[in-house]
Amino acid sequence: MTNETNTHQLPYLGYGLGLRVEHYETLLEEPGNVEWLEVVSENYMVPGGRPLMWLEKFRERFPLVMHGVSMSIGSTDPLDDGYLARLAELARRVEPKWISDHLCWTGVQGVNLHDLMPLPYTEEALTHVVDRVRRVQDVLGRRILLENVSSYIRFADAQLTEWQFLTAVAERADCLILLDINNIYVSAHNHGFSPLDYLDGIPASRVQQFHLAGHESSERLLIDTHDAPIIDDVWQLYLEAIRRYGRVSTMIERDDHMPPLAELLVELDYARTLATPLLQAAA
Amino acid sequence: MSLLELQEQILQAILADEAPPVPELLSDARADATSRLTVYRNGYRVRLHDALISEFPGLSKMMGRRFDGMLESYVGTHPSTHYNIRWHGAGLAAFLGYGLPWRELPELADMASLDWAISIAFDAADEPVLAAADLADLPADAWANLRLRPQNNLQILSLHYNVDVFRRAADHHDKRPRLRCYPKVRHFLIWRDALAVRYRPIVADELSVLHAAIQGKSFATLCESLVEFHPPAEALPRMVSLLHEWLADGILRGWTAH
Repeated sequence: MTNETNTHQLPYLGYGLGLRVEHYETLLEEPGNVEWLEVVSENYMVPGGRPLMWLEKFRERFPLVMHGVSMSIGSTDPLDDGYLARLAELARRVEPKWISDHLCWTGVQGVNLHDLMPLPYTEEALTHVVDRVRRVQDVLGRRILLENVSSYIRFADAQLTEWQFLTAVAERADCLILLDINNIYVSAHNHGFSPLDYLDGIPASRVQQFHLAGHESSERLLIDTHDAPIIDDVWQLYLEAIRRYGRVSTMIERDDHMPPLAELLVELDYARTLATPLLQAAA
Repeated sequence: MSLLELQEQILQAILADEAPPVPELLSDARADATSRLTVYRNGYRVRLHDALISEFPGLSKMMGRRFDGMLESYVGTHPSTHYNIRWHGAGLAAFLGYGLPWRELPELADMASLDWAISIAFDAADEPVLAAADLADLPADAWANLRLRPQNNLQILSLHYNVDVFRRAADHHDKRPRLRCYPKVRHFLIWRDALAVRYRPIVADELSVLHAAIQGKSFATLCESLVEFHPPAEALPRMVSLLHEWLADGILRGWTAH
């Protein structure tokens, strides 16, 4: 295990889940082994009604973190001030342990593709993103986490690997990293790089959170659907991540084909079971 | 190619039916650039489709198998612009009301209007609800100048077809009802009573009084407006009856006395 330790000030939260409507009631009645929850920011950036009522119930019971999908930090459109104001307003209400979004762009020319589009890993894109991360952090008054996305396209003029680009953004903008282990696995398959090289290239001091998830295999590419159980190869990669980064807040992110909560709790327990011996050995 | 140009090219390649290839995208032995980009093309359409289905259950019930084709046409011609995917539904009623061939089936725009009104009431801002007890101690001489304040989330729709029946059938998973055109346009009230979205028809006198209340007219003026619909002696009892109904329905948020 690396000797480099996390030097940032955010707390370790343990093992959590992405909060989904299907599990609202069960999660309040029988939270099982869930130690914290990640909420999708946009689902609660609304004026009122049931979403905010439920959010308040969970805020009283669990540590929460906010995870956005629409910041579009890599877009060449101007940052959406209205979006950021609503995000900041939600953060004041939720008081999350941290706020994250994705290292991607979601649209341009005012159009929203509702997808996490990869960036070309160039110096131009790097400068652009770093400037925008700094501005977002100024608005929110805190460091944010950026997550690596699954991707299906690559660019001819890339000058950096994805992990070099992610690391450079984090170092230059002084932000943190949310590593989605499944996304690394999916992109490594789709683009033919080593997922271990990826893990080796990310500095432990920046890694604040892990996502674990499932995916779908198409004929040639792996598709990041987050709608299936986590596969063995991703569990193995998770172990490799723990060896490198140590104790990191971990959660399962399931977005579709939602199983009963009990199934996700079993997966969450499995994550804990896998990680504990490694962490104890390193202690 | 600049980052801006690259993003614009990819955007067009995803939105357009036949866009030129993006030369900056790499092919390899696993998959060529076109099939890689297709993942994003398909994903965009599927995500919008799935989001709109859940916002328009009445329209889905009404259109049946034609619903998917209509959505494909809407998504294909109207790019999404809001960060919240469900807000792409804001333009659907207008698309159905003005675009061919859908405008020839005016019940579709009616249905989309009701579905969307219900959707936006769902997470409208929370407001206080005026209770009968809040008015109990009001001195008798204060009523004439009293201004009732309806909920800000209140919406009034004018519908020509029995789309409310379709929406109810969709919500209760009932079989598709028979389409009927109302003999006269019907007005519907859509609002949120605490956390529950509600809707019901309103008749002409209630519509008139409610409009007056929304405009901030005094209670005395509301009563006077009912004389247009009722004999003078029945205006006040009718107003009292409406007030009771509004209080029970949670339609009012408060009052002012000036």
